[in-house]
Amino acid sequence: MSESGSDEYRYLFENAPCGYLTIGPDGRIAKVNATFETWTGFVADQLVGQRLHQFLNMAGRIYYETHIAPLLRMQGSFNEFALDFETAAGERLPVIANAAERRDADGGVLFTALVVIKATDRRRYERQLVDSRSELRTSLANERETAELREQFIAVLGHDLRNPLAAISAGARILQRSGHLQNERELRVLNMINSTVTRMSDLIDNILDFARGRLGGGITLHRALRPLEPVLEQVADELRTASPQRVIETHFEIAEPVNCDHTRIGQLASNLIGNALTHGARDMPVRVGAKTNGKELEFWVANTGEPISEAAMEKLFEPFFRGDVRASRQGLGLGLHIASQIAQAHGGRIDVTSSPQETRFVFSMPLVQTGPS
Amino acid sequence: MNVLARNNVHVSGRGDGAMVFAHGFGCDQKTWRFVAPEFEREFKVVLFDHVGAGGSDLSTYDKAKYSTLHGYADDLVEIGEALGLKNAVFVGHSVSAMIGVLASIKAPELFGRMVLGGPSARYIDDGDYKGGFSEKQIAELLEFLEDNHMGWSAAMAPSIMGNPDRPELGEELTNSFCRTDPEIAKAFARVTFTSDNRSDLSKVTVPTLILQCSEDIIASQEVGKFVRSSIPGSEIVFLKATGHCPNLSAPVEVASAIRAYV
Repeated sequence: MSESGSDEYRYLFENAPCGYLTIGPDGRIAKVNATFETWTGFVADQLVGQRLHQFLNMAGRIYYETHIAPLLRMQGSFNEFALDFETAAGERLPVIANAAERRDADGGVLFTALVVIKATDRRRYERQLVDSRSELRTSLANERETAELREQFIAVLGHDLRNPLAAISAGARILQRSGHLQNERELRVLNMINSTVTRMSDLIDNILDFARGRLGGGITLHRALRPLEPVLEQVADELRTASPQRVIETHFEIAEPVNCDHTRIGQLASNLIGNALTHGARDMPVRVGAKTNGKELEFWVANTGEPISEAAMEKLFEPFFRGDVRASRQGLGLGLHIASQIAQAHGGRIDVTSSPQETRFVFSMPLVQTGPS
Repeated sequence: MNVLARNNVHVSGRGDGAMVFAHGFGCDQKTWRFVAPEFEREFKVVLFDHVGAGGSDLSTYDKAKYSTLHGYADDLVEIGEALGLKNAVFVGHSVSAMIGVLASIKAPELFGRMVLGGPSARYIDDGDYKGGFSEKQIAELLEFLEDNHMGWSAAMAPSIMGNPDRPELGEELTNSFCRTDPEIAKAFARVTFTSDNRSDLSKVTVPTLILQCSEDIIASQEVGKFVRSSIPGSEIVFLKATGHCPNLSAPVEVASAIRAYV
């Protein structure tokens, strides 16, 4: 090696941008380079002859003794470990280190070479990652707990809300059958009770579905292959009873039995017709139709009245969206959201067109010919 | 449950008596690789990993059970029962010294002799007792452990768990002797360094030898002498070896000290 080459090596050893140390078989520091002296603030005389762990913080000492030293003996080298040195000024020097043993022919240790790279930023960054992961874990656990409580709450709430409603509905039926109610005013009150019960019942269904959907359960379907018309007729009838002063025209041409969740499609129809009754012109009929063409089921609801604004159109199917409507008619804004969820669960969709002449919601879904899966 | 699979138990050697080696905090049974083979001619040599370490069955790791050293001691007793051990020699390093002490109290017939390497009955200072560490330092250690994942990653866990000995894992084998699920490593560190077994030592009825290194920062001479004076009739040997892992750094000295005692 030439004179200048040797100088270069010495320069590299002393001044490379990393710390070099060699540690003897007795665990004591044998050699250090100038960079390591500068970083730690100790001079070679203070370092050489001492055990490495004297310059580590306590956590690093334990780690060195319980992990690094045994690993070096077992596998001869150990890369990429974090350590904290303590400088002469008492400050922390976070490093990433690699270490390797130089062994004799019998496997005994001649010395251990240690390279340390200053890693203040890197170590801080990694610490932040670890911290934020543990924070996330904690908050995820909290969220799960809250979600579980909420789910229980909703189940109980649904039950508690439905029971009194069933009692009111049964009472109204008894009154109706008794034939005691004769005059028009009394019958109007009875109709009002029925209408309220229907509306309330739909609201509860929607709330529960929404809550379940949001809690990860989603809308589950119980498909069956049977006629759909009777279901749609029944929904229209219920709404006619609930809103006797309104006209609901139906026109169904469903030639074949439909493979779907009939209760859910009934709920979808009820939500769409209910929406038309709420927002449509009160003196004009709501027109409802359905047809199949062998490939697709199409169900539509149309009303006249104020068209839906462009801004409202964008948010129509979002939960808790409510258009401009009289306060007394306002629902939770879940009806269309749930309807679209039911449509999606059936592999279908709801399209809306709205003009001053007509607002029309069209639900279409592919017809699947298999029976319940 | 298969205890032998749970603790990745390996039995080798021949002989009427058995010698059980228990690894300490940090790595696994391979830390005995330079010492255990020395006894295979005269002893049935039993090596195992504590649950959570090495090739143990991680699915059997139970947070509550392993929140004290008793959980580990119960496993040790079960291993002894499964292998039908009686009057075996127990060699425990570091925290396993105390695990052996607890096991010998639970099942006095299990071990005939115990060799405790670098034992400490309590790591944290307490009044006049000098364990060597403050509570704050141990808290810092628990945090610091997260800074060294030892190449552990969730994606690699399955291959590490089942196949610690598969050479074809190649580079992934790096650090495998000490690689532990970080959550478990932290929990084991907590159990180890917050344990206090000072009141258990007097209940030991088995002849016991303490191997004490010089310059061991984990278990100082003072701590070793405390264990010596607390276990009735125990003896202590001071090794020339330095550091906390003489089984790796000075296996010849360790093996001859064990041999001289058994």
